[in-house]
Amino acid sequence: MSESNSKKLVVPINTFRIVQVIISILFFVFVGWRFYTVIREGVYGPDTWLRFAISGLIIGSVYAVIAIGYTLVYGILFMINFAHGEIMMLGAFSGYFVFEGLKSITVDPAVDLSFLDAYQIFSVVIAFLVGMFVAAVSGYFLERIAYRPLRGAPRLIPLISAIGASIFLQNAAQVIFGPKRRTYINPSALPRSVGWRIPIGGEDVILTYTGALTFVLSILLLIGLWLLVMKTRYGRSMRAVAENKQTAALMGINVDQIISNTFIISGALGGAAGVMWGIHNGIIYHYVGFIPGLKAFTAAVLGGIGNIPGAMIGGMVLGLVESLGPAVLGIDFQLKDVIAFSILVLVLIFRPSGIVGEVLTEEKI
Amino acid sequence: MSKRFYILTILIAVSLILAACGGGSQAPEQCADNPDETVCAVIEPGSTIKIGYAGPMTGDYSAFGIDISNAELMAVDDLNAAGGLEGFEYELLVEDTQGSPELGAAVANKYVSDPGVVAIAAHTFSGSTAAAIPIYAEALRPMLSPSATGADLTMNQTVFNRIAFTDTVQGQFAGEYIKNVLGVEKLAVLHDGDVYGKGLAEKVQDVFTTLGGEVVAIQAITQGDADYSAVLTDVGASNPEAIYFGGYYSDAAILAKDMPVAGLEDVILFSDDGTFGAAFIELAGDQAEGVYATSAAAQGSPRVNEFGERFEAIYGDPPGAVSTFTWHGYDVIMALVDRIKSVAILGEDGNLYIPRQALVDAVNGLEGYEGLTGDITCTEGECNTTGPTFWRVEDGEWVQD
Repeated sequence: MSESNSKKLVVPINTFRIVQVIISILFFVFVGWRFYTVIREGVYGPDTWLRFAISGLIIGSVYAVIAIGYTLVYGILFMINFAHGEIMMLGAFSGYFVFEGLKSITVDPAVDLSFLDAYQIFSVVIAFLVGMFVAAVSGYFLERIAYRPLRGAPRLIPLISAIGASIFLQNAAQVIFGPKRRTYINPSALPRSVGWRIPIGGEDVILTYTGALTFVLSILLLIGLWLLVMKTRYGRSMRAVAENKQTAALMGINVDQIISNTFIISGALGGAAGVMWGIHNGIIYHYVGFIPGLKAFTAAVLGGIGNIPGAMIGGMVLGLVESLGPAVLGIDFQLKDVIAFSILVLVLIFRPSGIVGEVLTEEKI
Repeated sequence: MSKRFYILTILIAVSLILAACGGGSQAPEQCADNPDETVCAVIEPGSTIKIGYAGPMTGDYSAFGIDISNAELMAVDDLNAAGGLEGFEYELLVEDTQGSPELGAAVANKYVSDPGVVAIAAHTFSGSTAAAIPIYAEALRPMLSPSATGADLTMNQTVFNRIAFTDTVQGQFAGEYIKNVLGVEKLAVLHDGDVYGKGLAEKVQDVFTTLGGEVVAIQAITQGDADYSAVLTDVGASNPEAIYFGGYYSDAAILAKDMPVAGLEDVILFSDDGTFGAAFIELAGDQAEGVYATSAAAQGSPRVNEFGERFEAIYGDPPGAVSTFTWHGYDVIMALVDRIKSVAILGEDGNLYIPRQALVDAVNGLEGYEGLTGDITCTEGECNTTGPTFWRVEDGEWVQD
């Protein structure tokens, strides 16, 4: 990559590059034209656009939190942890069982009041903590069992191990929890599909409480993580390991410890995403992490893999593309995944470093 | 020397002819020369008359397979309690297809390789059935499916019959019901892109338009997604009075959840017999209220009620609660056994002989059998002569509308 960058100065005309630019310009002109037509024809009112945007941003914020898990691990180990979606699934199941358990504890038999409804905020906090803890522990053991023995191996080997771990975790969950779909029981203050009404263009657009919780919590988690990596002493040692493991080790940093902790942090974020997914979307089963995992990976690449703000922007952009894309292009909503993955391909071709991608060092490429 | 050899040869020839004649007098004529049992099934004393069931016993749609096979097992137990056939007992084999065509073909090959399997009370799911039909046709195993509803399954084949009404019939009735009974003028049509859901949706769209209604939006969703608020928002922009959804309960539950968010609180959600059942209410919770679905659930007659009580006593759920095909499962076995009885021959050697071609013809020509689901008369593979019923969720229960 950096080689071709330096060559660009020497070679005056690069035909491939010109074709790339022309194609991308045509693509943006086409999308812009479609967008203009759809707005001019007035197919959708302002309320509809707002609903699309809300739906996209909520989904996008979950993608962003999962994408951070990919990005953190990639930043340190330069490998794609494909089992991350399954870590999220484990978090979702943990939150489900916490709610189930708290629902079955009765604190006031007179009015049949369960713990879940009596201490609602506390219950939600417990669900998130347990979900994050279980996912973090799973992330730790995933690294110990599936990745650490392959630390020195060629980069394709841990990737295959990751895919194997993903399939293993899915099937283990199917055996343990059964193939049945389950519905999250939310505390009564957090009902699904109910929320604030925003009047716009003569219609009320609903912003659900669960959606707002998901969005706000995602942003808080991302800011917290960014502060951890950029502003603390611990974050500095993480960045040092990402830069160069040998040199970091020479400076007295325990590289294995840092890598383990990275998996714990990324697992905890995945677990939080799982609980958010359950609270907002409601239905979970053993396969629930797979597609969001792939989408979040797309989001991470879109924003620039290895880059924390990039993963966040990538997640939001992907969420918006999924909800707005089919409407703007005027095609079937069944094709929204096609649009999302086409964007992945386009990004890989035209801008492999992503929207806010850093200039990668020789070693990372 | 040569004379003795000559006599010996004659003796051997004569004894062979005698042996052949002896065999012929013991087994019925059409089964006499049938060493590999391709023409006739030979059931020896102590063996059972096997009937095969194949459907999704694990995976997302296991509710269908488990429920139907339970009903079929109950039918087989009832038959054996009543003495079986000439002292021979019936046995139901159950194999898992996960609803997929690949495993459907694999299970069909397995059943065909077992000469004791005389008939197939399956498959469940159209794709899995389509893959299995040619295999059974070659091996002369008659099929009577409780639940495979794909419209073109009965075309260009020789062994397949079903007692579920087709998607075409269901779509026809549903379209008429939405327009004439519910009085909807503007309908949005959604489907999951699958053969079943898409076929239904297109049929409803046709019928509704023919009746003078307006179909304001048609959209396909991605099966198995967790959030359909964007696609529902798109559909909602055209202000429909009702949404018809062709697909299964897990997706229908998510649609029901997301409809209020998309501004469709007052819009009716109308779905199909893939949505009908307790699983939908369990997943959708409060949002299931007011959702319509079609079903073949038979109602009312004392015989149906008696079956319902016995089924609930054995399996814990009333029929129709887990899937819509419980009654069909029971009927399928009873109708198949009725046909097996009509062609089975008890040989003088004590074996039971079932000529395969005769059984295929007998099942294809099934006429006037009174089942729990009504009259069963097969014409070119279609055996259901009564249409669907319409149901609505009220206070967490399916109520006939």
